Amino acid sequence: MGGLVRNYAVGDELTPLVKEMTQEAINLFEGSSGELGPSQFTDEETARETLGTEGTVASGRMSLSFAIEMMRRYFGSEVFNHAGTVDLRFLRPVRPGDTVTFTGTITGVGREANGSRVSVEIKAENQRGDTTAVGQGSAVVPNAYLPQDE
Amino acid sequence: MVEADERILLDWDALEVGETFDTYEYVLTQEMIDTYRQGVMDPEASFPTISHKVDVKQYNAKYRDAGSVNARCAFSCYNPPVPGKRITVRAWIADKYLRRGKNYIVTEAVSVDEDGRLIDRVITHELKQPTEVGKKWGG
Repeated sequence: MGGLVRNYAVGDELTPLVKEMTQEAINLFEGSSGELGPSQFTDEETARETLGTEGTVASGRMSLSFAIEMMRRYFGSEVFNHAGTVDLRFLRPVRPGDTVTFTGTITGVGREANGSRVSVEIKAENQRGDTTAVGQGSAVVPNAYLPQDE
Repeated sequence: MVEADERILLDWDALEVGETFDTYEYVLTQEMIDTYRQGVMDPEASFPTISHKVDVKQYNAKYRDAGSVNARCAFSCYNPPVPGKRITVRAWIADKYLRRGKNYIVTEAVSVDEDGRLIDRVITHELKQPTEVGKKWGG
């Protein structure tokens, strides 16, 4: 995905990202590190013992990955993958079967030595309208990706 | 035969902010990247290092506790990792705090590959009373 040359303004909204959480996706995420043992994410009994929940939950790091994807798609991989940040607080568990929508709104644009730092407020909501995570993200957009009149 | 757990039982009060853990090294394979991308349903996902939880891996290798819940996580992207490269992780206790009677530990980790490329930085706040999740959100 290429970086886009464009203006950034406070109030601009990022394209929302929707993810349908499944146990299979959770298992793949957890297994991708080579850790295959039962955990609160992959095994209901372990979740009951460790968390006191009736079923498994998704790691907050999956929500982090989704927020990063939303930001990368908006800023472009050339920009976000080298100067992007996401800081999320996890407010409610995300469970298999949930549909989670990530949204972002630009809250600030500030000049830096070689470009502009664009700050974004991030929110994640499940299909019931409950907020599952909130936080901030940012990307330093190099001058080459900004209109010349900036 | 079950091996004895020789890890240290966490004493949150005694845990020192600034404690640095042993360096952790691993090779990120293309298979790991592909599996991560399937899991997050994103064929372009560039930081499969997220699922490796390297910031808490060495903590968990040293200490045992009642488990944890990820309360907050901050991630900084510097350079996407390259498959087949050895990644070295330095991790440490960045902070600890008590909030509403609950104990939190903040770990921080920086990953660098064998060519010296800075990959990412992750800071995680873990609640050390995981049963709070069931009490609050149960069912």
